[in-house]
Amino acid sequence: MARAVRFAVLAAGIAVGVFSLAIARRGAGDSISGGSVFAGAAELIAGYALLAVGLLASVRPRQGRFGAILVAASFAWFLLEWNNPAAGSAIVFTAGLALYAAAPPVVAHAMLAYPDGRVRWWPGRAGLALAYASAVAVLGLAAAAVFDPASEGCAQCPRNLLLIAGSNRMYASLNRTGMYLGLAWAVLLIPLAVAGLVRSAPASRRLAAPVVATGCVYLGLVAADFAHSLPRGFLGTDSVDLRLWLGEAAALCALSLGVTWAWVRARHTRAALARLVVELAESPSPGGLRDVLAAMLRDPSLQLAYPLADGRLVDARCRPVELTGEVTPIVRGGQQLALLSHRPGLLGEPALAGEVAAAASLVLENERLQAEALSQLENLRASRRRIVQAGDAARRRLGRDLHDGAQQRLVTLSLALRLAQTRLEPGPDPAVAERISEAGTQLRAALAGLRELAQGIFPEVLADEGLSAAVDALADEAGIPLKIVAMPAERFGSSVEAAAYFVVSETVRQSRASVRVSAARCDGRLVVEIAGAAAPTNIIELEDRVGTLGGSVEVSCGPDGQAKVRAEIPCES
Amino acid sequence: MRVVIADDEVLLRDGLDRLLTEAGFDVVGKAGTAQELRREVELAHPDVAIIDIKMPPTHTDEGLIAAQEIRASNPDVGVLVLSHYLQSRYAMRLIEQHTGGVGYLLKERVSGVGVLADALVRVHDGECVVDPTIVARLLGHARRASPLSQLTERECEVLAQMAEGRSNQGICARLMLSPKTVEGHVRNIFMKLGVGESADDHRRVLAILSYLRSRPE
Repeated sequence: MARAVRFAVLAAGIAVGVFSLAIARRGAGDSISGGSVFAGAAELIAGYALLAVGLLASVRPRQGRFGAILVAASFAWFLLEWNNPAAGSAIVFTAGLALYAAAPPVVAHAMLAYPDGRVRWWPGRAGLALAYASAVAVLGLAAAAVFDPASEGCAQCPRNLLLIAGSNRMYASLNRTGMYLGLAWAVLLIPLAVAGLVRSAPASRRLAAPVVATGCVYLGLVAADFAHSLPRGFLGTDSVDLRLWLGEAAALCALSLGVTWAWVRARHTRAALARLVVELAESPSPGGLRDVLAAMLRDPSLQLAYPLADGRLVDARCRPVELTGEVTPIVRGGQQLALLSHRPGLLGEPALAGEVAAAASLVLENERLQAEALSQLENLRASRRRIVQAGDAARRRLGRDLHDGAQQRLVTLSLALRLAQTRLEPGPDPAVAERISEAGTQLRAALAGLRELAQGIFPEVLADEGLSAAVDALADEAGIPLKIVAMPAERFGSSVEAAAYFVVSETVRQSRASVRVSAARCDGRLVVEIAGAAAPTNIIELEDRVGTLGGSVEVSCGPDGQAKVRAEIPCES
Repeated sequence: MRVVIADDEVLLRDGLDRLLTEAGFDVVGKAGTAQELRREVELAHPDVAIIDIKMPPTHTDEGLIAAQEIRASNPDVGVLVLSHYLQSRYAMRLIEQHTGGVGYLLKERVSGVGVLADALVRVHDGECVVDPTIVARLLGHARRASPLSQLTERECEVLAQMAEGRSNQGICARLMLSPKTVEGHVRNIFMKLGVGESADDHRRVLAILSYLRSRPE
């Protein structure tokens, strides 16, 4: 509704209220509220309450239709007075004749259509159709068509513009039919409204309960008035009618308050959410928002997923998320921040997803960025791992090439030299034989050096038989005594074995005294300890290698000045 | 002595052939792969097969496996495995499976015809041969140092000879000691190390190597 239209409606509503009250005062004998100031005030308060709340609702997102229905109910409420002989004008009088019973179906409509103005359940729609038909078509239009004020003994009544042919009998029978139908639908819609409430999601149910409860009280009073009026044959203004009508006025005021209460509650929810979100923002923990939302919306199955640039859906800790149930996107500024999966209908109440987005946007954005950062970190880790693995593969290839190429050639060469030497042995020049013998010695030293080099680059045995065998071999070849205290016999991933091995071999290589080595699997980690060692100088290289696997290397110095190197390497596949 | 040589390197194979022939051995066959080796052994029935540990296709331990197969199928053929690896575990793998007639030498020994010839003779005689460098390493920083420190210098020398696979008789010749003296040393060594004495030379080698390789409690 546009602003100007809303002001026009407000002015019209106020005017209609004053005008109706004026009619009631003038024709007090034929009016239900004309007799007392109290009743008049009640009429005005109930009607204006509906008008005010209806107009307020019309400006809220997704409640425009509901607001319009409430405004209509306000007008209908006042029209009750217009079929008064003191109406003064034929048009007003005729409108009153046609619509004096319209308030109950419109209020029922508002109740069933809460909160967004739509009645989604077909039995509700059917019940409303019956209500409108009986109140407007039967009691209003049809009855007016056969109602001749003069023949009914109302000389001062204005002209009935809808009159086709006056018939007292028809008039009475239509009134009776209308009242029977009215009693029927009013009684029928109460359980329907309650069933609709039970069917709705818990969060919506809590908000709708006050509106439905007051609406049902109102319908109960309407039904009671129909029942009271049946023997008499028309809707009258006796003292029972008056009391029931005052109750209806009170119920409508309560209904207006119920609608307002839902707004207050939503604001309160939002404020609580905002408070929690602020707390969360002050001490952010990844995934904290999901827990807060799950608790606030009382849905433990709730999941919050962030779409990454590569299309994956992850939670705040960057773990993949499989969305089940109903999925509501949380959009802000045209950008999809997150996806919320929840129990069906949980976010059925208007704007809750919007409320979440508004209140939590900072934390949402934060968690989304965090997930994104974690994902990049994971990619980076994977890339580091690949680099180390590629490096190991290259080292291994190099080691093999040394074994199979250079070393083999040198052995062949030393053999050839030996053969040459045997040929020369009885030769004339002993100096030549001596040179050759010297060359053979050099060659053997070169071979020994080469063997150590190849072994240091990447021991074949590590890839072939695992950590235990490789450390065993290291003990054979190391220049210092190496005591193996404990070594797991099982195999680990090749990266884990290589990392553990190089921590040991690098430390041993730089140590001058005997060292004790132990390794064991402990809580999903391979823990390697080297005691009595010198602190490895290339600790950063080792830290890098172990770090790519998410592990750590620590060097501590004992009281005896001997260092202890401890590496922990996650080894769960 | 009839010898078959298996090595995928042609130059080395031929050089070894000439060296051994000159040293008085009878080279009756040469092979480049484990398969050829098995055929040569079946055809030529050598006394000893010299086998490179690295053979096609994977160049890891095919030679070792072929050696074990030959010992199993032809118990009268001795095998001498040549290896680039200084690791005692390969030697142990070989010795554990078979009772004597096996040897494990570093490949560069091929240029020292004396060591090679000695090893071939000993393998042929049914002894175990373990490369002296490997034994020296094991003794140099054995993982169980303390009981070894109780050995005298002479006993250490005898222990090294035992670990290399020599019999008491061989040790006598090598260290120029009388049989009685060697027996005394051997008894002392077994007592000091707490290893059960065994008359069988092969078992003796195994026990000593296992002892040297084993981890402290």
